[in-house]
Amino acid sequence: MSQNGFMQFIDTKVMPVAGRIGSQRHLVAIRDGFVAIMPLIIIGSLAVLINNFPIPEFQDFMTAVFGENWKSVGGVIWNGSFAILSLLVVAAIAYHLAESYEADGLSAALISAGTFVVLTPVTEDFGLAMTWLGAQGLFVAVITALISAELFRLFYNSDKLKIKMPEGVPTGVTKSFNALLPAAVILTLAGFFNAFVVNVTGVSIHEWVYATIQEPLQGFSNTIGSAIVFVFLNQVLWFFGLHGTNILGPIMESIYLPLIEENQALFASGVSAHEVPYIVTKPFFDAYVFMGGSGATLALIFAIFLVVKAKHYRTVGKLSLAPGAFNINEPMIFGLPVVLNPVMFVPFIIIPLLMTANAYFAIYFGLVPKTVAILPWTTPPIISGYLVSGGSFTGVVLQLVNLTMATLIYIPFIKLAERASIKKLEEQKAAQVTSDAQGWRDA
Amino acid sequence: MKIALVCSAGMSTSMLVQKMREAAAAQGLEAHIDAYAQADLKNHMEDVDVILVGPQVRYLKGQIAKKAEPYNTPVEVIDQMAYGTMNGEKVLAQAVALTK
Repeated sequence: MSQNGFMQFIDTKVMPVAGRIGSQRHLVAIRDGFVAIMPLIIIGSLAVLINNFPIPEFQDFMTAVFGENWKSVGGVIWNGSFAILSLLVVAAIAYHLAESYEADGLSAALISAGTFVVLTPVTEDFGLAMTWLGAQGLFVAVITALISAELFRLFYNSDKLKIKMPEGVPTGVTKSFNALLPAAVILTLAGFFNAFVVNVTGVSIHEWVYATIQEPLQGFSNTIGSAIVFVFLNQVLWFFGLHGTNILGPIMESIYLPLIEENQALFASGVSAHEVPYIVTKPFFDAYVFMGGSGATLALIFAIFLVVKAKHYRTVGKLSLAPGAFNINEPMIFGLPVVLNPVMFVPFIIIPLLMTANAYFAIYFGLVPKTVAILPWTTPPIISGYLVSGGSFTGVVLQLVNLTMATLIYIPFIKLAERASIKKLEEQKAAQVTSDAQGWRDA
Repeated sequence: MKIALVCSAGMSTSMLVQKMREAAAAQGLEAHIDAYAQADLKNHMEDVDVILVGPQVRYLKGQIAKKAEPYNTPVEVIDQMAYGTMNGEKVLAQAVALTK
């Protein structure tokens, strides 16, 4: 296929599909919902990390200053953030979905959170079962948010289903009634549905969904196969200049976020970072694969500094270094460019796959602890490797090994790209000279 | 003139915003330029004059254009190379041309 035919294929076949996924309102609502709760997730994660930081001097110091119970601070922060992940996200997703229909987001969020609690088992001493408010309840949370927000907007945006107020009633009052009918219907439906499921299956909706859908899916996600497929899709999307992490976000968040939560909950309870169950998690990708951004372009920047002389590449490399340290790589992707650059296709796809395999096996064989903390994705490599592994230098070593490998593989390709661009320049120059000569002779 | 740049989280566009502001200042052009995350844009729809979409989220153009239509706000994807090389001047020129 010629370059033009290929471009056309992408524009007419691939782009619309990516566009539909990237702008599908339910997926967007799920992604934006997760984005909204991310600050709390990260705070909760850091609280646990500090509680379990593997430096005895630090632990002794904290005990000496704040007493034996100093860890309760981090513990309750965890309870108020990561531990109620599902309760938070149900409201956030419902908010975004309702807003996308121009319905009242706050009402939708509150109703959705209420609905979620309706479906959640209560403990014997009348406490909410924290198990289901956290990562284990995530699938129920996402489904609840989508269905309740859909029902809500049906009522909210339909004039027939609204309670009519006589004229002269202030709009604020009318508005407060607008949410009343949908709230009543949604909560009642949820109540009956809950009773029905418990009656038929003998367990709560949470237990049923977790055992039949979420747990098998998580087990499947925690394999090297699915990690490779995920990275591959992400790279292909980015190669075409599409925001892979954005498009795949809903999958990433709803599958790989619970895994890190379960790791971290166990880590908080004293299990070592080696003993926690899951290898492939969200921070696994962020810290060990997407260093400098998708495609580990930080390594590509190093490769440019090491072997390339062409001015354009060096300029782009310099420009990309500072954002690259924070895993932002649009200048590399579009400026070099990597996008639709036939020379860069192979390394850009292969390198992250190798890094994924490397990281997976390093952790599998116990050389590096599993990930037990989640950080902002903009956390620079080295720092991130140390922290996500629960404060282990082996995490940093893994990052350095992966970066070095990536740089070495990028080197021949970037040289090839440089040679191709020089050749093209010379051809253009030659063409210029002949056409100049032509012009001179004609004159 | 108010120019809005949109990308996934508003991170990489915020770098370009910096360069565009410098370019605008150099040309003595009165312009408010800001980067927004895709989810955040709708809160600013009313008071922007032109919307530029990052090439990595160019699939959002249709959706954004639909939302911008009632305000007659032009929406365009940022030139890929200008975006990559963070060429503030060129993108500013693109924005100015769209408002005419």
